Amino acid sequence: MNARERLTASLSHRQPDRIPFDLGGTSVSSLHVKCIGQLRDYYGLPKEHVTAWSISSMAGIVPADLADRMGVDTAAAIARGGPFGMPRENLKLWTMPDGQQIYVPGLFNPTPDGNGGWYAHPQGDTSCPPSGHMPTKCYYFDNIEPKIDFDEDKLDPADNLEEFSVLGAADTQYLLRSVEEAWQTGRAVVLNMPGAGLGDISWVPGGGLKHPKGVRTIEEWYVSPLLRPEYIQAVFEGQTDIVLVNLKIINDACGDKIDVVYTCGTDFAHQNGLFLSPAVFRRVWAPYYRKVNDWIHANTKWKILKHSCGAVAQLLPCFIEAGFDIVNPVQTSAVGMDPATLKKEFGRDIAFWGGGVDTQHVLPLGTPEEVRKQVLERCEIFGRDGGFVFNAVHNVQNDVPAENIAAMVDAVKEFNGDL
Amino acid sequence: MTILENISVSLQEGRAKEVKELVQQAIEASISAQTILEEGLLAGMTVIGEKFRAGDVFVPEVMIAARAMNTGMALLKPLLAGEGVEATGKVVIGTVKGDLHDIGKNLVRMMMQGKGLEVIDLGADVSAEKFIQAINDHRADILALSAMLTTTMHEMKVVIEALKAAGIRDKVKVMVGGAPITEGFRATIGADVYSVDAASASERAIALIGRDAGAAK
Repeated sequence: MNARERLTASLSHRQPDRIPFDLGGTSVSSLHVKCIGQLRDYYGLPKEHVTAWSISSMAGIVPADLADRMGVDTAAAIARGGPFGMPRENLKLWTMPDGQQIYVPGLFNPTPDGNGGWYAHPQGDTSCPPSGHMPTKCYYFDNIEPKIDFDEDKLDPADNLEEFSVLGAADTQYLLRSVEEAWQTGRAVVLNMPGAGLGDISWVPGGGLKHPKGVRTIEEWYVSPLLRPEYIQAVFEGQTDIVLVNLKIINDACGDKIDVVYTCGTDFAHQNGLFLSPAVFRRVWAPYYRKVNDWIHANTKWKILKHSCGAVAQLLPCFIEAGFDIVNPVQTSAVGMDPATLKKEFGRDIAFWGGGVDTQHVLPLGTPEEVRKQVLERCEIFGRDGGFVFNAVHNVQNDVPAENIAAMVDAVKEFNGDL
Repeated sequence: MTILENISVSLQEGRAKEVKELVQQAIEASISAQTILEEGLLAGMTVIGEKFRAGDVFVPEVMIAARAMNTGMALLKPLLAGEGVEATGKVVIGTVKGDLHDIGKNLVRMMMQGKGLEVIDLGADVSAEKFIQAINDHRADILALSAMLTTTMHEMKVVIEALKAAGIRDKVKVMVGGAPITEGFRATIGADVYSVDAASASERAIALIGRDAGAAK
């Protein structure tokens, strides 16, 4: 089997020749730029600056030579737009606080915060208040909530839709080129669909907008499905209409070159339980997920990936009902997320993309042998009868030693009989 | 139902306007502010806390109930001061330096306020110096530290070491929590209490103050 056949078989719940391996296929299953730099050294690959995929999470783009070295089966197709309203183009070098030089969008124009950290400004416009902050000792740019208020009676869903639009010529051209490049690698192509995350809290503050309006603070957004469900539904309705147009544009141009689409990264759970009730999910989110997923299934052969951190087991039936094929990152350390139970109860109806090794404890703090042991155990549990793509739980963070990442890679190879 | 029970139920259902009206009625009926607080507002928040831990209500319900409590508290605050009622205890809370995540920390704050504790919330990305300053300024009983990242949780140890250096480690109890934190980690860094969620944190805080009332200062 080649990488595409392997991934397709597994996602169709058929036993592949070996467990497919993802690292860098999506913006939530990659590695911190620092890890990519260290892995290049570890494997003796030529020195090369790493490109940031997301200025926010500082996840990096896994270069082809590193993907080859690790035996990765996926390749990412990435949109032009990025966090804080900065297109991924006209790249330039920026020095991280630890001295690593990375490629960032040309518009990235951070200003010092006065305490050793950095502010990011919407669209790089330093005349606007900062919308992102990387404090000293930190490795990410998190959102700064905009200091705006709203009049409940005058709330207009259009205000929360400002950042969503039909792909323009430059966006389309960029995305199609990215799909083509991913396809040329021979690996399975994962489309990271722009603008399809419904109520993803990373995007709610509108960090890319110079003058965001509407419901933009995290707490207000979280209470909105209960306090003003019609408003949230109207936002999702408008967003879904745009997503359907964009999906058609992409599918018409290069649909046959895409294997998987990652649409939505909204987190519905914390580590001990759900953020909201399944009833609210079914009422406020599910109809719009259904609309997008039905369209994709009716018009393409793509498998659809839903990302949600946390103790999400109780919502898996809802994800399945809503038409998702894959769940990620499978946070096995959260309550009710025992690998064997998940596989037994849901393994026939949804594929697991992640859960391969615990990124909170074992991967950063364990020994290479402990990493190996857990990876082998997880492959055994999740890999049976397909329905599994190996990935760690979420992006590998900057504090993980290269030796542990290599131990993870080698353990997958060992399980697959490739070592 | 008595008016106090009504306050509790309205708060649980997050009806802020109604809570405010009922608290006003209770004040006019000459019920003491302390009784309205304890048997109305805090009783309601205790139920919400229990339901949250049991998975019967979720994050938005807690946030909405906390807002309802705040509308009632705004009316009670001046009266409580007049009655000479003091908070059960004082907690300084914040997310440690380098970490900007504060949803979990905010939930802990809400739950602690729901137990009658006075909470001084320093926000996110808080340095050890700022924690120490606030502990001294407010004569806090408890320091509650939050971290969401494996990369920032080690800052908790930095804060504890700074407390020692400032000579105030034995004056406050240190509570820790957040996504990557475990009981083992708590023991390693020498904190006093680890709590797995916001409801437990508020209960542990009350227990700490109860046991160490007076001795903590």
